[in-house]
Amino acid sequence: MSTADPLGASIPRLEARDKVAGTARYVDDFVRPNMLHAALVQSPFAHARIRSYNVEKARALPGVRAVVTGADMPVRRVGAMLKDETMLATGKVRYVGEPVAAVAARDPETAALAARLVEVDYEPLPAVLTIDAALAPGAPILHEELASYVRTMEGGSQGNLMWSSRLVEGDVDQAWAKCDVILEATFQTQAQQHAYLETNGVLAEVEANGRITVIAACQSVHHVQTRVADELGVPMSQIRAQVPRVGGGFGGKHATNIHSIAAWLARATGKPVKLVLSRAMDMEIQKSRHPSRIRIKTGATRDGLILAREADITLDGGAYADESPNVLAFCSLMVRGPYRVPNLRVVSRAVYTNKLRAGSFRAFGNPQGTFAGESQMDELAAKLGIDPLELRLKNAAQPGDHWVGGHTLHTCALRECLGEVRKAQKAAPPLPPPAPGRKRGVGFSSTTSISGLMGTSASVHLRTDGTVALNTGCVDIGQGSDTAMTQICAAVLKIPVERIAYASQDSDLSPYNWKTAASRSTYMTGRAVQAAATVVREKIMEHTAEMLECSAADLELREGGKVGLVGVPGKELGFKDVAMRSLFHVGGPILGYHGLVYDGEKFDPKRTLMERFAFSNLGVYTFGATCVEVEVDELTGRVQVLRAWSAHDVGKAINRAACEGQIQGAFTHGLGLALYEQMIWDDDGRLANPSLADYRVPGILDVPPQITPIILEFPEPSGPFGAKGVGEVPLPGVSPAIANAIAQAVGVRLRQLPMTPERVLDALEAEAT
Amino acid sequence: MKFALPETLADAIALLGEDGARCLAGGQSLVAMMNARLVSPSTIVSLRAIPGLDRIESRADGSLLIGAMARHADVARLTPRSPAGALFATAAGLIGHPAIRNQGTIGGSIAHADPSADYPAVVLCAGATMHIAGPAGNRAVSAAEFFRGYYETALQPGEIVTAVEVPAGPRGGAAHYEKYSLVDGDFAVVSAAVMLAVENGCCTAVQIAVGGGAPVPIRSAAAEAALIGTPLGEADIAAAARTLAEAADPIDDFRGSAAYRRKLIPRIVARAVAAAKRKLA
Amino acid sequence: MRETLEYEITVNGEPTPVRARAEATLLEVLRTECGLTGSKRGCDQGVCGACTVQLDGRPVRGCLTLAANVGTRKVTTIEGLAGASALHPVQQALLDAGAIQCGFCTPGFVVTLDALLRENPRPSADAVRHGLSGNLCRCSGYVKIVEAALRAAGAQS
Repeated sequence: MSTADPLGASIPRLEARDKVAGTARYVDDFVRPNMLHAALVQSPFAHARIRSYNVEKARALPGVRAVVTGADMPVRRVGAMLKDETMLATGKVRYVGEPVAAVAARDPETAALAARLVEVDYEPLPAVLTIDAALAPGAPILHEELASYVRTMEGGSQGNLMWSSRLVEGDVDQAWAKCDVILEATFQTQAQQHAYLETNGVLAEVEANGRITVIAACQSVHHVQTRVADELGVPMSQIRAQVPRVGGGFGGKHATNIHSIAAWLARATGKPVKLVLSRAMDMEIQKSRHPSRIRIKTGATRDGLILAREADITLDGGAYADESPNVLAFCSLMVRGPYRVPNLRVVSRAVYTNKLRAGSFRAFGNPQGTFAGESQMDELAAKLGIDPLELRLKNAAQPGDHWVGGHTLHTCALRECLGEVRKAQKAAPPLPPPAPGRKRGVGFSSTTSISGLMGTSASVHLRTDGTVALNTGCVDIGQGSDTAMTQICAAVLKIPVERIAYASQDSDLSPYNWKTAASRSTYMTGRAVQAAATVVREKIMEHTAEMLECSAADLELREGGKVGLVGVPGKELGFKDVAMRSLFHVGGPILGYHGLVYDGEKFDPKRTLMERFAFSNLGVYTFGATCVEVEVDELTGRVQVLRAWSAHDVGKAINRAACEGQIQGAFTHGLGLALYEQMIWDDDGRLANPSLADYRVPGILDVPPQITPIILEFPEPSGPFGAKGVGEVPLPGVSPAIANAIAQAVGVRLRQLPMTPERVLDALEAEAT
Repeated sequence: MKFALPETLADAIALLGEDGARCLAGGQSLVAMMNARLVSPSTIVSLRAIPGLDRIESRADGSLLIGAMARHADVARLTPRSPAGALFATAAGLIGHPAIRNQGTIGGSIAHADPSADYPAVVLCAGATMHIAGPAGNRAVSAAEFFRGYYETALQPGEIVTAVEVPAGPRGGAAHYEKYSLVDGDFAVVSAAVMLAVENGCCTAVQIAVGGGAPVPIRSAAAEAALIGTPLGEADIAAAARTLAEAADPIDDFRGSAAYRRKLIPRIVARAVAAAKRKLA
Repeated sequence: MRETLEYEITVNGEPTPVRARAEATLLEVLRTECGLTGSKRGCDQGVCGACTVQLDGRPVRGCLTLAANVGTRKVTTIEGLAGASALHPVQQALLDAGAIQCGFCTPGFVVTLDALLRENPRPSADAVRHGLSGNLCRCSGYVKIVEAALRAAGAQS
């Protein structure tokens, strides 16, 4: 390949060739000799006590090698903030489908049959399926021992109240009095499922010394190692977690019990055990996006200056806390919108219900808050008689602002993003007129999200042949981090990407990374890679200075892995020479390592009261804007997005095509949330549509043919080459932009997602009467 | 589980007489149900090797004989020689997705009788006749009598559909299949199949069937009769559509409530009729 | 207890002996018996398209095809599409267009596009979208896939 600058280059993913040829290996592609298959036994009840188990028939079935139930293990609870969940249901079941036992057998059919032979005696209990039912006085309590659960911080957990938080800035009560217009409304959103094409799966095997290796489709090998060790009750040194190619994660391949279940069965049988979830089971036992109910109130002066916002957020957390406290916190933080809001009060709660747990899902609480906030912005604009885009521009956060928690915005290109989408929409060639009975509208929204969070590290090793080994703990779940990290390393060392070998993630070998989530990989691990590669560069310089008998300050890196004296083209050495000299002559390889924990400004407690906020320091804001053109069929209520523009300031696009792909993909998740997707539970708490036939993710004909990504680059001072994340920020703005466009097209305001044709039609009819 | 590949219809019928035997046409419904462990046949009787079962005869007089094993993709590709031909070709091309259409069959679809599927309404609209073979011999059943309820047909145990005989439809007429679904490729929430002919501005023939509006497809002789002689104006169509909606007994599911479906029936019917009219021009 | 059938199917031009249960799907047989793991299981219900293979050149769902019912029809999988020394134009185009993210849907798209372009060498964008309507992608939003398909069509002609 050429010596073209790798930064920004749209090089294909490193593993693209394998993927396109069908040779990329995902967890279900691995086989081992004498491998067993696992199957899970699921609860038929939404809420019940487990009285007893009878596993004899299952055990006796020829081909069955192990059966395990919740009764076979000490109670070891896990959970991100509130440890309320066990590997298999213990003592109680709390949602229909909850795994209560697991079986390992010689083939999948025998395992499935054995699972059906496990008998569990339940004492059904009344269940609560809605937030209101769960919080009603006298409601059946899901976690009777809640008070005794270990928690990383106090969350106000009590009864079926899983967690509550509060955020206050300024004084909203005083501010309302100064507002000329105040709007208040309640918005609701549904449970969305990740619907990655590859379901969750794992292959666990034991070594002779008792160590267990877990090959998991996951978002963090370090997290898998920790959780499996926790749930099996063994030291972390006994567990090794590896990750192959992953077929999408979006938050749904993080924090699952199936890795531990497979490991347990592997330990019990001494044989490799594979557990790959069927689509139905994945939808029934993993996690969903939090359904939400948000009452939001915004007040402004008559010329459109927002003075105050108040939000009352309730999230339905399902049966187990998982990352609810964190989602709650992020939703609370983002519900103000990317604006200057001098007075803010957010009261939020997550509630236990007898349904599947809700947890991390791309954008993490932001879509719920943004649907509410960005819909209300348009309603406010209408009330004030101001153009909705002008209202946003007027209140937009700006560079230099002390914004969320007092954080200084070193860059903020929100206004530029809004300008870009407006310009692009106006410049777009006019569409042919709609067919009779169909109306068109244009809608906007603005968004923000973060990329700085938690810890990560990287190591770079210059080998004696001048090639480089790059090693991070950052798992590529399909979003292209392997490639981005390699491009960053290549840019620092001025070598072609082909000369870098990027290691896969393995808890035995990879330097620590928290997880792939929160749009943090490019920013956080990218910084670590840049710094580690810089250490290597400096060492190269030091060695070369000795070898050429000059000062390191007089040296420069040259394209293609060379280092030479500035101004003297002939005087140079290849990396090979330097590396060999270091290893054989001086005594040691040239290695660079860098680890960091997000080190941005902390929240200013004098400015912002944050009670029971479940996250550590975070920041580095990416701002963006969305514009959609929709067509509403007034006879059926069906809404189609015809064209879309999505502009985001990413600081620096490390790989332009990958960045565009993330914007288009995130948009499509937002589209599904807005119009098509919902998990539906029946009155007995059973998930009624656990299949892709009945849970419809957008197909190619449901997505606008044109989703135009617009990338702005205002360098983030602390980011690697100025880069920050983009994986999530294009998602939250989609549903309010669509709702705003529908309002413009047909004059009705929808406040509940998904905006199904039936809901649109009902709203049209209500408006007409 | 056993697998059988009979080479004659008689052999297939004999095999299907066994307890727990199921016939395999395109497999798009049966294998999906097997994968979900909803059915577990003792014997699968594949119809693939029976000669002539997949033939599509598009006759000079516009009528068609479509063998039970004709794939949706092949029906979608036929060159229409009549309104019925056009109707079947259009509808077949809207079933599921291309890969489904390459394997799914008309016989399998009709025998499965999913009220939200496409063929039942189309077959009823066209007034087609189902040719059936079974242990007691061959018989023919009209579309009106074939669909009995949810996933329930006139087929007796051991019987299979062997072909669908389709009359040409109104001479000089046009056809349209309007399928309304929430997302592309999904089952219809409501659908309407229409064939009509107009002479001197007046309707001389009309056949309308609604899918997704009841456990079986719906047709109304009264609605059709009332349209004859009219210019098929808005009011005329609305009246006919209302009659059909009144005959409807829509299901309530997460694709749409019964009320929503009932509301849509007249609208989808009106769209279908208008579209067919435009094709005449 | 479980009846095992023995038969032969032709996969990517190779006559391949199979030993499997009657209810084994083609997807299962390809992945376990033939070691061809390029075709993926995404839903087992024929909806997602990750299992798409070709029978006599026509795209079908591997998960909804009983392997025992394949008979003499020729099976082509993703593994049979790349050339000996170069990628299939569709594969190259997807790679060049940055249309591949997690890659799980990719084999199904390649198999479908190969058949599509053979039937319609100069498709419009609309024809491409309709041809791909049975292949789900959860990562890309489809835009770059269509761009790649049109580019591949252009490269072929």
